[in-house]
Amino acid sequence: MTPSRRLALAGALAAAALAAGCAKDTTRYGDARGVETVTNTFGSTDLQLMAESMARSMQQAPVIASANLPIVTVQEVKNKTSEYIDTRAITDSIRSELQKGGKVRFAVDASAMNQQVDELKRQQSDLYAKDTAAETGRMVGAQYRLEGNIVSIVKEVKNTKDVYYKLNLQLWNIRNGLLEWSDEKEIRKTTTRG
Amino acid sequence: MNWNRIVKTGVVAAAALAVFTGCATKKGFEQPGFAFGCPIGDAKVSSMDDLVKAKTVIEGRRSTVVANEMRCTKSGDLLKIDTNLNNDSKSVKRMAYKFRWIDQQGMRAWEEESWKPVLLYDNSNLVISGISPTNKAVDFRLILRSDE
Repeated sequence: MTPSRRLALAGALAAAALAAGCAKDTTRYGDARGVETVTNTFGSTDLQLMAESMARSMQQAPVIASANLPIVTVQEVKNKTSEYIDTRAITDSIRSELQKGGKVRFAVDASAMNQQVDELKRQQSDLYAKDTAAETGRMVGAQYRLEGNIVSIVKEVKNTKDVYYKLNLQLWNIRNGLLEWSDEKEIRKTTTRG
Repeated sequence: MNWNRIVKTGVVAAAALAVFTGCATKKGFEQPGFAFGCPIGDAKVSSMDDLVKAKTVIEGRRSTVVANEMRCTKSGDLLKIDTNLNNDSKSVKRMAYKFRWIDQQGMRAWEEESWKPVLLYDNSNLVISGISPTNKAVDFRLILRSDE
């Protein structure tokens, strides 16, 4: 092979390597609310569907629709599925939607209680002017508590995997223990290989 | 004309009016600015097809799935919509839909909803329901998209 041919071959190889390198990673912005079907594990579309469906349903519950801004506290949504799901993300989305709808007020929940108490204590210290500091003993208790669970059934054969999710939420009256509203959202996803 | 005749004529006229009123209610144009319970504003809507055309937006690839019936009602101060989707084909079709909510000024009353995937069996109907997220939403559009 002549030196010029060798040089041309090396150039072609370098160009090919560069092209391959460039083709590897491409980053683009997508539609955050688009239908996501990358895998059949719990995904963004499932989270959005569940949160939207539950919030809209809860808004129609008589205790929410007819009451004057009822106060709700969000409790745990138990994850009874076989995979990791951040159930707090579901209740956070429901809370945001209901809060924006202006029909419900939310009281501080158990997970945020420590921060609330810490801030109250801080304001009660000598660092703050007494007339602007938040007083203790003024927190408002919730009338209702929201809780629930999410379950899944997974079935898999050679080339097919079927996942079924069911989110069940309940709104309990704290004073009298009555179940005021409950609803479910089901989702089925099937993946077939080949 | 004797008294009996006047009474008989009156009864027949009242019955005819009642029948006419009943038909008008059934047709669904019970309030000005509404058709089949759905807000239409100044749009000319004289049939179900007109209403569906006015309220539905089809995005992306054309599909054999079409909306062919739509009815609205109020749930408290929220707007509730039922739409029938028809798959007039011999194969299963996958679609996605969302509602766009519009306020009194014609602006968006709510952020864009997430796409909701649905499956329609061959030669079948599916009713999809939507409820407005806020009482500021006084109008809507149903957005349909083929998901195949």
